[in-house]
Amino acid sequence: MLSIEGFQSAFKYIQLFKEGLVCTVSLSAFTVILGFVLALVLALMRMADLRPFRFLDNTQGGEGRTGFIGFLSRFRPLNLIASVYIEVFRATPLMVQLFIIYYVLLAGLDLPTFKLFGLIRFERFIPGVIALSLNSAAYLSEIIRSGIQSIDGGQTEAARSLGMTQTQNMRYIVLPQAIKNILPAIANEFVTIIKESAICWTIGVQEIMSAVNSVKAATFTIGEALIIAACIYFCLTFPTSKIIEYFERKMSRGDKR
Amino acid sequence: MATSDKLIQVKNLKKYYNKGTLHALDDVTVDVNKGDVMVVIGPSGSGKSTLLRSLNLLEIPTDGEILFHNIDITKKKFVNKHGKVEKVDINLHRQKMGMVFQHFNLFPHKTILDNMILAPMKVLGVSKTEATEKAMALLKRVGLEDRAGAFPIQLSGGQKQRIAIVRALMMEPEVMLFDEPTSALDPEMVGEVLEVMKELALGGMTMVVVTHEMGFAREVGNRVLFMADGKLVEEGTPEEIFDHPKHPRLQDFLAKVL
Ligand SMILES: Nc1ncnc2c1ncn2[C@@H]1O[C@H](COP(=O)(O)OP(=O)(O)O)[C@@H](O)[C@H]1O
Ligand SMILES: [Mg+2]
Repeated sequence: MLSIEGFQSAFKYIQLFKEGLVCTVSLSAFTVILGFVLALVLALMRMADLRPFRFLDNTQGGEGRTGFIGFLSRFRPLNLIASVYIEVFRATPLMVQLFIIYYVLLAGLDLPTFKLFGLIRFERFIPGVIALSLNSAAYLSEIIRSGIQSIDGGQTEAARSLGMTQTQNMRYIVLPQAIKNILPAIANEFVTIIKESAICWTIGVQEIMSAVNSVKAATFTIGEALIIAACIYFCLTFPTSKIIEYFERKMSRGDKR
Repeated sequence: MATSDKLIQVKNLKKYYNKGTLHALDDVTVDVNKGDVMVVIGPSGSGKSTLLRSLNLLEIPTDGEILFHNIDITKKKFVNKHGKVEKVDINLHRQKMGMVFQHFNLFPHKTILDNMILAPMKVLGVSKTEATEKAMALLKRVGLEDRAGAFPIQLSGGQKQRIAIVRALMMEPEVMLFDEPTSALDPEMVGEVLEVMKELALGGMTMVVVTHEMGFAREVGNRVLFMADGKLVEEGTPEEIFDHPKHPRLQDFLAKVL
């Protein structure tokens, strides 16, 4: 099946693989940034204590009522929206999400058709970034939430007792520590995104898998191109995880000072 | 005593947990006057922390009032002296009440100096130079000026607690709340922290101190509260409480701890 000649003819298309590599890396990088911002919002929404019907419970602190009125007074809409979002995106296949976004939600929009970096087709790239971001935000937000909740509540009490607002407490005390703790998990999510971004070739994003497809169409063989693609993915993800491990070890050493 | 001397008035304060079945605070009424060093004693679980934490609303009471400068801080709004309705700004009141915790709660990702200057800069808008100057003076007062650049993890428990005290003092509070400040310390470090607290009291600071250090209560306190089961059982001067306890619960408690 695989042959030297096969590799030789596949290597003629190496330019396609290079462009695919640039595309995959951009796809993953944009996704991790957008996904992180969205995940932060989701995490804060899940922890928000906004209770619009709190006034129905006339006891101070609003924990006293039982029954339906009590239920309504403790109803937290932001939390509900974020929870539903997270559960839906974690419980459905990424490919279904990608197709719904590309063929349904963004179908009516006329996205600008220029080429990013002179080679990436913007109108295909953006739906890919959006789908991957929405999907990874669901996972990242749970990572962020656990990171925030791992910070000892005494810190928040100290900050609040010094007169800091909840926002100042988050910004100066909780988030800097939480994000440092979850950096390895975020970086792992980055590796996952690199691998999952392969799915975007199905909507015509010219990333690595789409290069494989082009080689297949031109040479009528696919094995060699797939091996090359696998090697490229491996060269992207393996060093990334090793670098993460290195920093993880270094940071945990710092903590035990 | 005139009303103006009353810094904090606690009226019929109640705090219930577990859907009202657990009465952590059961109808507590007490005043804190300017200059008081009020020591709160009582068995574990009697509601001492809950009372202290209610004073700056780290716990939201179930019922009752807490007047700070005659403003009920448990309510959302109050009527000012011109008859206008204003919002109660709890962050503003918290600035004026320093709090020291059993487990120090220093910010581990910040140096000692940064721990101290963060809130003055972000909350009061003090410049960095001014805040640093003030922090260094306070550090000198507690003999830790050479640790300004250290991180909390590099300090002993006693040093951490002294830092926690001066961090609270940076906000120039009108009252300092201490929740068992020496309970998490090795015995040899208790003295250095109590010493700082004593100096603070001698300087005229209003203090509410939850502690098991009966020696401190007797020597430094001017009033002692004894709590049991969420109730304020007995109140008096240190002599009255320690030498002539009336309530059997207090006599029982003192027999165990003294
Ligand atoms: N967050 C909470 N949830 C439920 N019960 C609590 C909570 N905080 C305190 N309690 C209960 O309230 C009572 C008083 O607690 P606390 O004020 O901490 O007592 P102390 O400081 O005197 O030891 C205890 O029975 C305690 O278990
Ligand atoms: Mg306690």
